[in-house]
Amino acid sequence: MSRRFILPRRRFLQGTAGLAGTAALGTGLVSKPMSALAQDRPAEIIVRVWGGAWGDAMRAGVADPFTEMTGIPVRFDFTEDNEIRPRIWAAVDQGRVPPIHVNWDTTTNATISALRGVTVDLSDLPNLDGLLPLHEPVGLEGYPLVNTYAYVYVCAYRPEAFPDGPPQSWRVMLDPQFRGRIALYDDGIGFNPIAVIAGGGTLDDIPDNMEPGYEFYRQLRENQPLLGEDPDFTAWFQNGEIDLACTISVNARAARQSGINVEWTVPEEGCKVDTDGLWVPQGLPENEEYWAKEYVNFALSREAQERWCSLLGLPPVYPGLAPPEDLVGDPAYPTTEEDFAALVSIPSPTLVANQPIWFQNFQEIFQG
Amino acid sequence: MTPSTHRRYTLTWRLLDGIERAAAVVWPRRLHAHTGYLLLTPAVLLVGLLVIGLGYMAEYSLRELDLATYRLVEDYSLTNYQTLIDRPVYTRVFLRTLWAAILVTAISLALAFPYAYVMVRTGSARLRKLLLIALFLPFFIGQVVRAYGWLIVLGNEGLINTALTGLGLPRLDLIYNYPAVIFGLTQYMLPFAVLMIVPAVAAIGEDVELASEGLGANWLQTFRHVVLPMAKPGFIGAGVVVFTLTLTDFAMPEILGGGTSDFIASSIYDSFFQISDFGLGAAIALVLVAIGSLLAIAIFILVGTGTLGVTDERGRRAG
Repeated sequence: MSRRFILPRRRFLQGTAGLAGTAALGTGLVSKPMSALAQDRPAEIIVRVWGGAWGDAMRAGVADPFTEMTGIPVRFDFTEDNEIRPRIWAAVDQGRVPPIHVNWDTTTNATISALRGVTVDLSDLPNLDGLLPLHEPVGLEGYPLVNTYAYVYVCAYRPEAFPDGPPQSWRVMLDPQFRGRIALYDDGIGFNPIAVIAGGGTLDDIPDNMEPGYEFYRQLRENQPLLGEDPDFTAWFQNGEIDLACTISVNARAARQSGINVEWTVPEEGCKVDTDGLWVPQGLPENEEYWAKEYVNFALSREAQERWCSLLGLPPVYPGLAPPEDLVGDPAYPTTEEDFAALVSIPSPTLVANQPIWFQNFQEIFQG
Repeated sequence: MTPSTHRRYTLTWRLLDGIERAAAVVWPRRLHAHTGYLLLTPAVLLVGLLVIGLGYMAEYSLRELDLATYRLVEDYSLTNYQTLIDRPVYTRVFLRTLWAAILVTAISLALAFPYAYVMVRTGSARLRKLLLIALFLPFFIGQVVRAYGWLIVLGNEGLINTALTGLGLPRLDLIYNYPAVIFGLTQYMLPFAVLMIVPAVAAIGEDVELASEGLGANWLQTFRHVVLPMAKPGFIGAGVVVFTLTLTDFAMPEILGGGTSDFIASSIYDSFFQISDFGLGAAIALVLVAIGSLLAIAIFILVGTGTLGVTDERGRRAG
C-alpha cells in the first residue's frame, strides 16, 4: 500500500512546488507566499460529491490518498449538486466563506457557475499539462473548472426482458410491452439530444429544431415512463420496477457489481457522452483555497485518475490509462476519437444556453 | 419566626420589590392595558421575518433570468408571471395540487372524525391508550421514511404484490402514480386531522348527546344535528391545516409519484435548483402562497373564525 504511494507523494510535492513557484512568479499581489500557504494546512477539505458508487470511488481514488500524503482529512458533503450551487452563489455574492472547498459537478453546471463568476481560476495547476483535450472547459476563458473524465448515458436493460438480445434502438421505449417499465432522468438530462435523433431528427437539428425530440417524448409519455435520479435507477432495477433506462454507465455497472442483473448497450441512434469536472469556489481563506487547488491538482495526477476512474468505470482525461477489464471494448467506454465520434456530444455552451428551455419543454410534456 | 427567617423573608421581599420597581420602569403602569400586545411581540416578529422573506421573493419574482450570466436582470417586469400563464404545465400542476389538497382533506376528515370520537368517548382506558399510541407513533417517523416504507409495501416486489402473485393473481401498479400520492398523503395527514378534531369532540358534553336522545332523537339524528355541528370548529381547523399542508407538500409526490405526478412545490424546487431561475421560482411560490392564503381567508369568511372557538371580549363567538 505504502509502496504504491511513493511516486504519488513525489509527484505531489513536485506539483506543490511547481504550483507555488508559478503562482509566486505569476502574481506579485499574493498576500502570503505560497510556501507559507502550504505550511498553513486547513483542518479539513470539504468536497461535495455524489453518493453511492460515485462517492466510494472518489474516497478510494482521490480523498484517502490525498489525506495520506498531506495529513489533511477530506470530508464529503453529499448535498445534491443542484442544491449546493445556490448556496455557493449566495456565499460568494454576500462575501461569506462558501460551504465547501471543492465541487465535483457536471460540466454543464460547473460552466453555469463559471458564467456566474464564482469559480477560482485553475490555470496554474501543474497537472494540467499533458492531459487529453477533453479536460479543457469549452467556451470559457482559462480554467474556471477542469473536466476529469467522460461518461456516457447508456441504454441499461434487464436481460430477462430482452431475450433476443440487447435493444437495437431507443425506439424500443415506445413498445407498449414496456409500459410503465422504462425510466429517464427527471430533467431529461442525458436524453434530450437522443430523443431528437430517435424522433427522426439529426444532430444538426440541435438546438434550433428540437421538435422531433419533443414528438418522441409525447409518444413516450403514453408509455408512462418513471422519472428519477441516479439512486432511483438502481433501486428500480433492484426491485424489478423497470426493464429499461437511460442512465449513466456508472450506475448500471454499480448495479451489476452489487448483483443486480443489468446490462447496457449503445443503440443505433447513439448515446450522449458528457464530462464531469472539479472546481473551487471563490471566497475561501487563502490557505484553504491553496489546498483546495492542491486537491484538484492531485485528482488530475496519473495515480488518482487511474484509481478513481477505474473504480467509476469511466475514461479519464489522463492519457494512456488502460480501461478496467470488464469495460475493454465497451462502446460506453470511449477512448479513441472514433469511439467518441460514435457517441452524441453536445458542446457545453449549447447545453448551458438551452438546458432551461429543454427542461421546461420536458416538464410540459411529462407533467401534463 | 426566628430572626434568621425574618432576615431571609425580608431579603426576598426586597428582591421582589426591586424587580417590581424595575418592571415599573421598563413597563409603566399606564401601559398595563397593552400587556396583551407585548405578549404578541414574538409572534409579530416571527411573522415579520416571514414577510421580509416574502418581500425579497416578490422582488426576485419581478426579475428575469439572464442566461448569459445566470443572474437575474436588474429591470423589473412581469415576465415570470407571464410565463406561468403562457405555459400550461403550471396551470395543470397547480390544478393537480389543488385537487389533491381537496381529496386528501375530505378523506382525512372522514377518517379522522370516527377515530377522534372513539378515542374521546371510549370507556376503555386500554383502547384509548392504544389509539393514542397509534396516533402519535407516525409522528416519530418522518415523512420521507414513511414514503419509502410504502414503496417497500406497495412496490412491484412488495408485500402486497408478492401476496397477489402468490395467490396466482396479476401484479397491481400500486406506486408511482397519482392515487399512490393521495394515499401516502392521506396516511401522513390523518394524525394531524385527528389531533385537531379531538379537542372539539371532547368539548361536547356526553350529557348533551344524552339529552338529545332523551328528547327522542335516534343515534343518527343526534350525530347529524348535535355532534357534527358542535364539532365544526375541529373540522374547520383540521381542514385548513390538512389542506394547506397538502397544498405545499413536496416529498410524497416526489417519492410516490414516479416523477410524473409532481405538485407545485416540485415546480418551485425545479425552478430554484434545476434551472437556477430564482425569479420564476419566486413567482410560483408567491402564487402558491396567494392561493393558499385566499382559500384559508375564504373559509374563515364563510364559516367565521368563531368556529375555531375564537370569542370576542363579551364572550360572543366572533365572525
